[in-house]
Amino acid sequence: MTTLELKNIRKQFTNGGASEDILKGISLSLQKGEVTALTGTSGSGKSTLLTIAAGLQLPSSGDILFEENRMSALSAEARRNIRATQFGFVFQSAHLVPFLTVEEQLLLMLDTAESTLGKSERTQKAARLLQLVGLEHRRHAYPASLSGGEKQRAAIARAVIHEPKVLFADEPTASLDSSRSRDVMKLLLDLTRELQIATLLVTHDEEMLNYTDRVIHMSDGAMARANSLIQ
Amino acid sequence: MNLGWKEMKRNKGRFLIVGSIVFLISFMTLMISGLANGLSKDNAGLIQAMPDGQFYLNEDAKENYLLSTIDEGSEKGTAFSIQMGSLFDPNGKQQGVAFLTASPSAVFPAVQKGDVLLDRSLAKEGIQIGDSLTNNGLSGTLRVAGFVDDSKFSHAPVAFIHSADYEDMFQTNDRQILFSMNSAAEQLDGLQTFSKNEFLQTIESYKAEQLSLTMIISFLVIISGLLFGIFFYMMNMQKIGLYGILKAMGVSSRTLLRMIWTQMAVVTGTALLLSILASQLFNQLVPQEVPFHLSAANTLWLSGVFFIIGFLGASLSGVQIKKAEPLKAIQQGEN
Repeated sequence: MTTLELKNIRKQFTNGGASEDILKGISLSLQKGEVTALTGTSGSGKSTLLTIAAGLQLPSSGDILFEENRMSALSAEARRNIRATQFGFVFQSAHLVPFLTVEEQLLLMLDTAESTLGKSERTQKAARLLQLVGLEHRRHAYPASLSGGEKQRAAIARAVIHEPKVLFADEPTASLDSSRSRDVMKLLLDLTRELQIATLLVTHDEEMLNYTDRVIHMSDGAMARANSLIQ
Repeated sequence: MNLGWKEMKRNKGRFLIVGSIVFLISFMTLMISGLANGLSKDNAGLIQAMPDGQFYLNEDAKENYLLSTIDEGSEKGTAFSIQMGSLFDPNGKQQGVAFLTASPSAVFPAVQKGDVLLDRSLAKEGIQIGDSLTNNGLSGTLRVAGFVDDSKFSHAPVAFIHSADYEDMFQTNDRQILFSMNSAAEQLDGLQTFSKNEFLQTIESYKAEQLSLTMIISFLVIISGLLFGIFFYMMNMQKIGLYGILKAMGVSSRTLLRMIWTQMAVVTGTALLLSILASQLFNQLVPQEVPFHLSAANTLWLSGVFFIIGFLGASLSGVQIKKAEPLKAIQQGEN
């Protein structure tokens, strides 16, 4: 079932009077419970496509449809509201809030998503998710005391605590070693399945593609090929 | 979740430094304000303690009470005169005073001929009730009949004397100032009307002194405003990347603004509370000789000004939050 659909997305940047096509008419749809990977060389436009899909910037032309909402027709506040309540984000650097404990990072996201859960239910939900990502013993730790892998697992827990419909992950394993990268990818895949999220992932690491359902290879702002890995 | 409070709990040192600076500046401003008020009381406590009403000077006096002449028998109010001079105590020690005489009224204390009522500050100089004081211009002596509070003029204690003694000393039947307790100014032929504040401004020494102190307080308030703004700006500049990331995740600018307003309110509120306590303590401990007076109204007014300045300084940083680009923050974070 399609959760997010991108239709003929184009993005042009003007630099010193000359315009450059960063994205040249990309169309793709994200399915519930699937991890879709965008891969390609640096400058192929994969990260730009992810940020457009996430409503962080608007395309020059084309449509992004999220549950029948045309993202480009929405106000900045309406897009922010969708990001807060329906989307989750994992960045290359974990980007945890330095003055919040691991548990508080998750509670902040529930606040932001205007969760209707009560205080104790929120805490219980955070505890369950931290157990799922293997961080229950680090719930009162601050980001400065976490390892790179722990930070990224905390960031993933934060990104899904409010049960988003779409998860955007931009190079989530780039700052991790191979073993930790595999752990993080497995976690992302498991959560995508369990919570029935549509996940869009940007990675340049070929090994990590093993943990995805679909791979879209991008080259020079266009889709070079798409492989479905679903058995 | 109160992000502002969480950050303050985690980064106590940083906020302690900002709070200390707010405390020092507000304490210094309160101190100078206390001195300004103290000097003002020392210079014109007599006038300030008078009831609200209208002051009248002769139009030809060009707003200088020393040049003004008023008929003593005016029925429109209390006619009074003030002249600087001195008295010799029983030990022959000279004391500078401001002689005041007035037509009988409830505005000033009544004095019998040959008596004098002195500001209480002279009691500390060893003068006692019943002492006989002399003056070179006076044929007789003045017996100290009592002391009164808060009666200073031009930094000198006021000596209330009977009109006959005044006329003997200064060789004039005229009075300088007419005071009426009417709240509305009345047009009197040949006289110029002044409110209490306007009349205080006609006293040159008072005007110059207060102008200087007001300038100092104003500059302190402006400088502290700039400092508040700069400190909050610097703190927020360091967090601009974090704001961008939080905005990318969907945290509203309103939540982030509430965060810095909370921090401003806690830092400024605590610092102001401490500086108010410290200044009130100083107010209690300061020696009587030091002209220092910090009223609750003045303290509250200055605190209010500081709070508004802090709010504006923090809000200025709100512009940065509004401008924080989620996309830029993510891209910068990835590099």
